Amino acid sequence: MKRRAILAFMLDRPGVLQKVSMLIRKKMYNVDTLTVCNSRKEGISRMTITLREDDEEKVQQILSQLEKFTEVVSVKELDTDHSYWREAAIIKVEADDEHLESFRKDYTFEILDHKSDEIHIIQIAGSTRRIDAFVKALGEEHIIEIARTGVTALEK
Amino acid sequence: MTGKELLLRALADRGVQTIFGYTGGAIMPVFDQMDKLGHFRFIMSRHEQGAAFMAQGLSRASLSTANPQVGVCMATSGPGAMNLVTGIADAYMDSVPMVAITGQVATGVIATDAFQESDVVGVMMPISKQTYMPLFVDEIEQTVHEAFYVATTGRGGPVVLDIPKDVQNVQVDKDYHFDTAAFRPALPGFYYHPTPAREPLQKAVELINRSERPVIFCGHGVINSNAGQLLQQFAEKVNIPVAFTLHGLSALPLDHPLSLGMMGMHGTVEANRAIMEADLLISFGMRFDDRVTGKLSEYAQNADVIHVEIDPSEIGKNVQPTVAINADVYRTLHVLVSDPMLAGKPRRRWRQRIAEAREVMAADLRREIDKGVGDDGALLMKTIIDRLSKLTGGRDLIVSDVGQHQMMAARFYNYQTPNSWFASGGAGTMGCSLPMAIGVKLARPDERVWSINGDGGFQMNMQELGTIMEQGTDLKIMILNNGYLGMVRQWQTLFFDGRYAGTPMQSPDFGQVASAYSIPYRKVTELAEVEPAIQEAIDHQGAIMLEFVCDPSEVILPMIPAGGGFNDMIIKRPKAKKEKS
Repeated sequence: MKRRAILAFMLDRPGVLQKVSMLIRKKMYNVDTLTVCNSRKEGISRMTITLREDDEEKVQQILSQLEKFTEVVSVKELDTDHSYWREAAIIKVEADDEHLESFRKDYTFEILDHKSDEIHIIQIAGSTRRIDAFVKALGEEHIIEIARTGVTALEK
Repeated sequence: MTGKELLLRALADRGVQTIFGYTGGAIMPVFDQMDKLGHFRFIMSRHEQGAAFMAQGLSRASLSTANPQVGVCMATSGPGAMNLVTGIADAYMDSVPMVAITGQVATGVIATDAFQESDVVGVMMPISKQTYMPLFVDEIEQTVHEAFYVATTGRGGPVVLDIPKDVQNVQVDKDYHFDTAAFRPALPGFYYHPTPAREPLQKAVELINRSERPVIFCGHGVINSNAGQLLQQFAEKVNIPVAFTLHGLSALPLDHPLSLGMMGMHGTVEANRAIMEADLLISFGMRFDDRVTGKLSEYAQNADVIHVEIDPSEIGKNVQPTVAINADVYRTLHVLVSDPMLAGKPRRRWRQRIAEAREVMAADLRREIDKGVGDDGALLMKTIIDRLSKLTGGRDLIVSDVGQHQMMAARFYNYQTPNSWFASGGAGTMGCSLPMAIGVKLARPDERVWSINGDGGFQMNMQELGTIMEQGTDLKIMILNNGYLGMVRQWQTLFFDGRYAGTPMQSPDFGQVASAYSIPYRKVTELAEVEPAIQEAIDHQGAIMLEFVCDPSEVILPMIPAGGGFNDMIIKRPKAKKEKS
């Protein structure tokens, strides 16, 4: 199923997140990722939701019903061709410097902490696919824990 | 001033005169203050659900009067608030403006599972237009004004205010000041487009002028924007027949020559055939719900659709319009009617087709109504409604409950008065009629109000007879008693091989019930008694209850089975395989 990103600006009030997630549940979707942050305008939050749906009309329905909430100021869908979708990940890996350095030429990441020779905490940002690839390249057996932010998106 | 005083001041500023409700621990301070003030007429229901439907009745019936009111209901926290839920969900489905005020436990104990605590905001959120929980006393007045604005602006709906008990009692700062006249709600996300855009309107006129087989749809939006007369002018000018949704009924006289009657599942043959064959649907203030469209893939396949609707999220939800006009129905019709490009055409062939469709069931129905009784001699609901219509000239207010008798009342009462038909449509809440009728009578005291019930629905809220007794409400109460949940029984007859699971129902002696509330009562079993009993109710001053013993095997036809298309319309009663009654 096609992955969709919905960008919404809304009043920063208690209960708004519940309303949004309630609508998505009512429409029988599972949220893939959801990120919320402050927008540049005070009192307005910026939310990026990703979910899976092939049918354009159904996506349009979600948008118009989100827009109907009095707290939601504006909503639009961001498609992959005209926007950047990015997420970040923090990964605790069991690997020595040498193993990590071997990825430098293909991936840009930062070492946040160096617990011991064997344990590193690193951070990486990029598209979902890029991070998936990095995780695969590192090797699941080296990963102790991983935290991913979920997608945030910006129109080109 | 305290929170409760600010709350009541704001309600008075908003023109509230009547408050329906039921007190309790968490709302007591407000009730106490209300009593001291003496400004409001308080009507105590016998169950909070009753209060919610009374508030709905007031909102629904008063919107066409010179003094439109927003129904207000009040309840305590926990069970009080939870008992409002059905009435609020019903108002939400039917776009009825209403303000529900509930007490909440004190802020200090919220979320500790305190006595009579429920997460009211959490429960109400999906079934109301907006919910508020003011936590500071200086927010109360502003919140009330915003609540009324949201409830009444655009597509109407219920709004819930949940006010913690301590906030009701807190004193506001000395320098607190609220300027009602200058208040403008700050709602950057609240869209309201009452004025139609020029471009789609021009396209609509082109489609109308070009169409050979058009049908006008009259929905609830026509009633809500008081646009019945304008719609009639428009229909007459372009000479196009009008089909009604359940809630569009009574916007213009039902026997108008252009009227096709109700559309949809239990709609008339002429309305449904016309829609099936139409090349253009001009729909005003409706939402193409499944009871109207039947199977969507087969719905009006050759028709262009002009959709005039105030709520943008309804446009394209079920039926994709050719022309979408997101605007107020009244304003749109106002512009349309005076459009010089708009032309009327005779469309003789179309009128001929419709005239033929009118005849499909007419003789059968006439025969049934005239016969007036079923095979076992019990009364037919159709006939009772037909006689009621004749004796009242179709000019009374009809508040129906939900079920077979509702469809009979929708089909066989000849509505003449604008906004004279009230029922639970979207939610289909049994038990709504009796309390809603109390609100309707309050809004329109000079008109006669009939509460039409089945034996099932009546018993869901018959405790409100106590309210009627206490208030001296002049209501004409009808119970069409067939000993079954009639509508479900009809489905069992048609689709479940006549197995009547969970539908037979024993009723109390309604005569004794009525007499317990000092309400006069007549039981009608013979056809010859029907008209005298109705006439007696008309002549009687004050509440009266009429019980009619009805034939359980009566069905309301035509019927489009749930999920079926218009081609599946049942117009003849099939022989039941094993019908026992």
